[in-house]
Amino acid sequence: MLGREPRKGMLVDVDAARSRVAELAERNGLAIDPDALVEELPIGVQQRVELLRELEREPSVLLLDEPTAALAPAEIATLFATVVQLAKRGTAIMVVTHKLQEVIDYTTRVSVMRHGKIVARYLTTETTTDEIARAMVGGELPQVAQREVTGTQPCLSVRDVSAGADTTTVTHLSFEVSAGEIVGIAGVEGNGQTALADAIAGMIPYAGAIELDGSTDALKHRENIGIVPQDRHHEGLVLNWSIVENAILGRQNLPGIRKGALTNWTAARADAEAIIERFDVRAASADVPVRTLSGGNQQKLLVGRALLGDPRFVLAYQPTRGIDVGAAALVQSRLIEARNRGSAILLISFELDEILALADRVLVMFRGKITGSFSGAEIDRGKIGRLMAGLT
Amino acid sequence: MRVVLRVLAGPAGALVLAFVLAAVAMLIAGVNPVDGFGALFAGSLGGRRPIAETLVQTTALLFPALGVSLAFRAGLFNIGAEGQLLMGGLLAGAVGAHFAGPGWLVIPVLLLLGMVGGGIWGGIAGWLRARFNASEIISTLMLNFIALSLAGYLVAGPLKSPLASGAETAPLLPNGWLPAFPSIGSLSFGDTRLTISILIAIATAIVLSFVFTRTVFGYELRAAGEAPEAARRSGINMPRMTLIALALSGAVAGLGGAAIVTGVLHRFNTALSPGYGYTAIAVALVGDLNPLWVCIAAFGFGILEAGGLAMQANAGVPKDAIHVIEGLIVLVLAARRYFATRASGAPV
Repeated sequence: MLGREPRKGMLVDVDAARSRVAELAERNGLAIDPDALVEELPIGVQQRVELLRELEREPSVLLLDEPTAALAPAEIATLFATVVQLAKRGTAIMVVTHKLQEVIDYTTRVSVMRHGKIVARYLTTETTTDEIARAMVGGELPQVAQREVTGTQPCLSVRDVSAGADTTTVTHLSFEVSAGEIVGIAGVEGNGQTALADAIAGMIPYAGAIELDGSTDALKHRENIGIVPQDRHHEGLVLNWSIVENAILGRQNLPGIRKGALTNWTAARADAEAIIERFDVRAASADVPVRTLSGGNQQKLLVGRALLGDPRFVLAYQPTRGIDVGAAALVQSRLIEARNRGSAILLISFELDEILALADRVLVMFRGKITGSFSGAEIDRGKIGRLMAGLT
Repeated sequence: MRVVLRVLAGPAGALVLAFVLAAVAMLIAGVNPVDGFGALFAGSLGGRRPIAETLVQTTALLFPALGVSLAFRAGLFNIGAEGQLLMGGLLAGAVGAHFAGPGWLVIPVLLLLGMVGGGIWGGIAGWLRARFNASEIISTLMLNFIALSLAGYLVAGPLKSPLASGAETAPLLPNGWLPAFPSIGSLSFGDTRLTISILIAIATAIVLSFVFTRTVFGYELRAAGEAPEAARRSGINMPRMTLIALALSGAVAGLGGAAIVTGVLHRFNTALSPGYGYTAIAVALVGDLNPLWVCIAAFGFGILEAGGLAMQANAGVPKDAIHVIEGLIVLVLAARRYFATRASGAPV
């Protein structure tokens, strides 16, 4: 209610504010608890709060920048139902999104932006997702690599694992990822994905067992694992360092990189060049600070580093976060190629489309538990979407 | 105009600006800045003896500045170089007073003891930080006062030389004295206070530079300083790194204490440092925490320290004015960094 506080004399009328918020939430189908502290809410719910605040003003122009990035499919539908209602009542609405299905489903007109320019305009009824995607990348979309049949040797096993604190816990989680398999964790942000990833990465204590090829120690050996962390700026990169220096972060003690007490910078540079080439990292040279790269190129560097040397197991947390469709297709192809070469990959993503595109098996996570498991032909978008929202 | 602005924005510009501000301060105090700065540079660079004295001051600042740089590179704000310097000197002086033997043995042992003394002092702060997450800024500063009090008590009591009137340890046996700086052609330094300790200091800087850029340890240390969370996730044991970095930082400062004891004083007393450990922080920052640049920064500050006395004697400018200049340099550099960060739009 900031900026529009209901007043009672000099005081803020908290009760009126509370009931107004509750009523708004009800009317717009966005469930929130009016008394919760925003900082304690998962990002998806914070987004709902932001949206409600704007809806409350009943604006004549509403600008939404990636409004669904952290929402479950069911919530997306409710959100857009609200937005479409608003549009019908005469509000001009502009949505910035990279999810093409939303564009097709809910908009009336589309403009495609590339490198800061509008490169195409369509009437939604006269276009397709393919056409829009082509306009976005300025050509044909790179084909995502074909998956090949691989073995089913169990590689990572998570048994009865509980970890985390407060709102981001996982409880009694058990699953396996086989060599040559991509297991996707579908779920709305804030349902325990962070705790799961941190437990596997050995960053937080946990109860239960997490093993790689039947051994807990194997997980601690860096040559066995590649990790794409959640927060690239704080967890994955040293922004003031060059690409070369960043290319060996986490791998600095591997044989080949470490020579006695020294760093083998020749090998580090070779690794950096390999990442730049295979992942099409756009940079003036391997020596520029990573800070100067765009977010997408930083992300490609991170994934490239994680996949270097075909680790036994790869933990990919939102591997295509914040990158354009073309780069995302490239990253996804590289993940599938790593799978084809026998890496076990655990994919945690808040974008169901990405999971459906990549995963051999889909596990749905809701409130720290696995509430559904689908593989092969059983994978059903509708069912998964409902489970993500906590419905059955 | 643009070129002028760009030069002024560099470290050289910071120096110029600091000197201009200092000149203004001198004018206000009623001293002709030309006389003041004339005396300053004559007393620090005008001849063999002044230069030797400048290099003595450079050395005294360089060791703790290198120690501070090491800690800062690891993201640890070691404000305690002063205490680490004292403890290094104390240990070297206490043992050196009773250690007879050949010079090739005594000198290295005393220097090593300096590193041990400073290393323990830095290590205490490191352990407190690693074990209890106690801010090293506070603990290193507090340890300075403990070091000063402890050293003061020891040299006034248990370690006091029975022959000395003041509070100091018994003098080192001459075998424990650092050799004078070697003659360069006809230029001899035998009658000055300049010893080979400046060479040891420069060698230390080169070693540190090598460690930072070439070794895995240096890589991990810099990672810990630049991006702690990314460092932790890369498998670096952060508490262990904290402990090691602060202990090493203290060891380098402590080596400086031992170098003063074996090279200049030939005994230990608490007048060993007129605040080198604090000035060293400014030196490290001016040198951008890069060991080789820190050498040059130490030389610059050495000029100020050595020239300050001459300026006081010959131009009537109090020596404290030097500290005003030093303070202004740091201030201007800090402001420059602040504006640079703001201009680039990067989050601070």
